[in-house]
Formats: sequence, structure tokens, C-alpha cells
Amino acid sequence: MSPGAFPDVAWAGLAPELVMVLGAVVLLLLDVQVKPGVKVLWRSASAIMVIALALGIWQWIVTEPGGELAFGGMLILDPAAAFARLVVLVVSILAISAGRSLFVQLGNRAAEGLALVLLASAGFVLMAASQNLVMMFLGLEMGSISLYILAGITGDGVRSDEAALKYLLLGAVASAVFIYGVALVFAGTGSLGLVAIGGFLAQYLVLSPAVLLIGIGLITVGLCFKVAAAPFHVWAPDVYQGAPAGIVGYMAAVAKVGGFAALARVLLSGFGTFRADWALVVAAIAALSMMVGAVMAIISTDIRRLLAYSGVAHAGFILTGLASGAPGSPSVWFYLAVYTVQLVAAFSVISAVGGAASSGSALSDYRGLYRRSPFLAIALSVSLLGMAGLPLTTGFVAKLGVFLQAWQHGLQWLVVVAVLASAMAIYLYLRVIVTMYMHSPTTDDPVGSDRPTFWALGFATAVTVVLGVFPQPLLKLVESAIYL
Amino acid sequence: MLEVTPGWYMTLAAALFVLGLTGVLVRRNALVMFMSVELMLNAVNLTFVAAGRAAGVLDGQVAVFFVLVVAAAEVVVGLAIIVAIFRRRETASVDELAALRG
Repeated sequence: MSPGAFPDVAWAGLAPELVMVLGAVVLLLLDVQVKPGVKVLWRSASAIMVIALALGIWQWIVTEPGGELAFGGMLILDPAAAFARLVVLVVSILAISAGRSLFVQLGNRAAEGLALVLLASAGFVLMAASQNLVMMFLGLEMGSISLYILAGITGDGVRSDEAALKYLLLGAVASAVFIYGVALVFAGTGSLGLVAIGGFLAQYLVLSPAVLLIGIGLITVGLCFKVAAAPFHVWAPDVYQGAPAGIVGYMAAVAKVGGFAALARVLLSGFGTFRADWALVVAAIAALSMMVGAVMAIISTDIRRLLAYSGVAHAGFILTGLASGAPGSPSVWFYLAVYTVQLVAAFSVISAVGGAASSGSALSDYRGLYRRSPFLAIALSVSLLGMAGLPLTTGFVAKLGVFLQAWQHGLQWLVVVAVLASAMAIYLYLRVIVTMYMHSPTTDDPVGSDRPTFWALGFATAVTVVLGVFPQPLLKLVESAIYL
Repeated sequence: MLEVTPGWYMTLAAALFVLGLTGVLVRRNALVMFMSVELMLNAVNLTFVAAGRAAGVLDGQVAVFFVLVVAAAEVVVGLAIIVAIFRRRETASVDELAALRG
């Protein structure tokens, strides 16, 4: 390459994100210039997502197993990144479909909401594909800042505002902690690229690893904040409770995908040689998350707080797989894929029952839901049973995967804690299901769901059951392709 | 004469970072908490520059630009949310924001 020549740019590898970002800009411009109706905007956003998904599937097929560095080593286009992108896109499409009534209620702010969803998805995909720690920070912030706004986007609820502020303040602190960790790792190794850091650590003996270890610790803490692992989970229940129902599932799901993808990349490919140092800390966070999540979920009286704490427990289960340090951690990816679908489905039902722009959903509102809307009750039951990890659902296969992986890598005590936590969790999910089926409803008003919600829930339910009975295709896909 | 090595700057940065974190944890006004977060990010910038200088690479200085941009974007969104809350409730104290409980 001659000096000054334009370097090779892997446009194709980044095509889905380019479509999403440009689509977001086009949506905003359309909204200003043409002022189309909300339905048109919603359809355009869905079309952009579907195009991005098609490009994402194409990229997944053409991606080489080892991956290739792109954009001067900022990104790595490998199967893990391609898979994370597919999960984010599927979750986003489900969430936009089920959240249509929210965007309709937003009225003239619908374009902003849809654009923010597109930008957040693009940000978390970039975060999952980052090979450079500063790039990872940018992806994280691109996603997180969009989510802060989405949390308060209705702008007409005291609780929605409060959720947005709490999310923003704690999220900003977490980001600052993360980037300080990056700066310390940079001070310790003299480079920001994960491959270069991994190479440096494998090659040289670090004489005074204190700065480096603190850096790794701070990066881990920052990411654990984002995925709501205990003891860094305090924001999650408040945000899930206060943010508009139509978007909570999306917020929770994409942040988890981006956060865990980044965590896997940092810990396994960057600091793999330091596994002896971080494995115990990650295992401790995992154990604490599982116990705190399960116990707090049991005493919750609001179904959103219940799901937030159950999300803390699930973060613990996923960290159990990560702590094993198995190369690529295929079980972690499988878990992420199936759990995020269940999460979005559960919040779609909450949105249909309580109203898409509502804050807070008391568990008592779900008394006798089966009589008011059998479809919603069944959809919620299936996703809750999936989260509980009952056999014949994807949740069972996912839990089994991470438990086996942790057991094989010498974390038997953690598996024992995890099994105990799962047993407690079954109780709390069954409590919701009993409320829906056995109690008599306080009102006989039927609850409706619009057509996009119906399809999104149908898809999520089908995935949870079908892949639960025949998990082989997805398992093979994940295991054959992903190693970091 | 006393030589000021990058270690000095990093120690100062660490002190600033801890100061910022303490501010977030102790202060109860959302605006001041936000300022403290900015202090934390500036500590990060100082660390980046000092470490980049010590390693003899430009990556540290470049990273600062990105951190600055992100900090600005965060401030824009943060101030908008704080203003929205203040308009509704005439307060920016996080202690009075306690509608979300379970």
C-alpha cells in the first residue's frame, strides 16, 4: 500500500451495522421532512432490521472460523461476533414487533425511539465484535446512551424519568470504571488491542502485575454492571420497573448480549493467561448473583422486579460458564441466545397486559390471566418455564451446558451453588404461573394483543419449545463455529 | 532535581478517580453526581496520556479524544434527563426520587 492510499476497508463485514446506522439517520430525516405516519416509520424500521438480519446471516455464513481483523485491528469479524449480531438482531426484531403499540403511543417521538433502537443494536454488535478496548468502550456507550434515553422516552411518567436517571447515573459510573480499567491495562501492557495484549502477556513475564490486575478487575466490574451481575445489579430492578413496558425486554436483552460477548472476549482472548487470577473472582460474582437473584426474586411483588432479579440470577448462570475459562465457551453463547428470546417474550406479555408505555406491573394484575387471555398466559408460562430450566425447554439445555462446562473445568462447588439457585428459581417462576392459572381474576376484561405481538410471542414460544426438544441444530452451530 | 515520571501523573489520576467515585457515592444532587463522573473520566484521560507517553505510542493520546466525545454525549443526555425531572418535581436530589420500590 503506497503512503496516502486509501486502506482496505471491510465494508461487507460491517454491512449490517452500516444498514442499521444509516437506517436510523434516514428514519430521523424522514420524520423531519416527510412526516410519515407512525405505522410507516415502524414498518421502515422493521424492514431495516430484516435487511440487517439477512446481511448478518450472509456474514455468518462467509465468516472464516479464525476471523479476520478489520478497520486497522479495531474490530474482529469472527463467528462469535457474527453470532452475537444474529442474536441482537433477532431480539431487536422481536422487540420492535411486540413494541409497536409503544411506538404508536409515542406519536411524534416514534421516529426517535425507533432510531435509538437501531443505534443501540448497532452499538452492542460493535461492542461484541471489538478487538480494541477503546472500540469496545465506544460500542458500549453507543448502546448504553441510546438505552438511557429509551428508558425515559415516554417523558410523561414520574417513574419513567426516575428509571432513566438511575440508569444513566449508575451506567455512567460503570462506563467510567470500565474505561479506567482499560487505561490501566494500557499502562501495564502498552497496547489496547486484545490480541496484542494476549500476545504480550503470553510472551513476557509481568514483573509488577498490580496495575494490570487492577485494570482487569475494573474492566470486569464495569461489564458486570452492564449485565447486572450481583453485587453490581442495584440499578436493574428500578430500571426494569420504571421504563416503558414495551422496551424493557429489549433493553435487558441487548445489554446482556453485548456485555457478555465483551466479557468473554476480554477474559478469554485478552487475559486468558491470567485465568488463575480472574476465574475465582468471576466464580464468586457468579455464585453471589445466583443466590441474590433467586432470593430477591422470591420476595418481589412486582413481576418486573421479579424478572430483573431473575435476570441477575441468569447473569450468574452465564458467568458460571465463563468462569470455567473453556475456549470460546459455546454453552455461554447458547445460553445467551435462548435466554434473551425468553426475556423479550416475557416482557412482551407484560407490555400487552399492562400497556406498552406503563411503569410497574404488580404481580396481582396477573391473577387469572389464563381466563382473560389464554394465549398470553401460555406464552408467558413457556418463557418462564424456559427461564426456570425445565426439561423440554431451551432453558434446560442451556443450564445443563454451562453446568457441565463448569464441572469439567474444576468448579464443582459453583455447580452445586448453581443447582441450588435453580431449584429456588423454579419456585418463583411457578408462583407466577400458579397466579395466572389457579387464582380467579380481579376483572373479567379480556386482554388483547395486536398482530405483531402475536407473531413475536408465537415465534419466541416455538423457539423455546422446539429447540428445547431438538437442541442439536443450534448446539452444533454454536460448538462448531465459535472459539475465541 | 526531582524528576516527574509518568508514575506521578498516574498516581494523581488515581487520586482524582477515587475523588470522583467518592463524590458519586456521597453527594445526593444529581448534577453534582454527574460532575463527579466527569472527574472520573478526566482521571482516565490523564492515565491514558501518561501511559501513552511512557510506552512511547500515540494510542493513549488518541483514546483521550474518544473518551472526551463519549463524555460529551453522556452529558447531553444526562442534563436533558435531569432538566426533565427538575421541570416536573422542582428537585434534583436523588433522595427524593424514590417512586420505584418493590
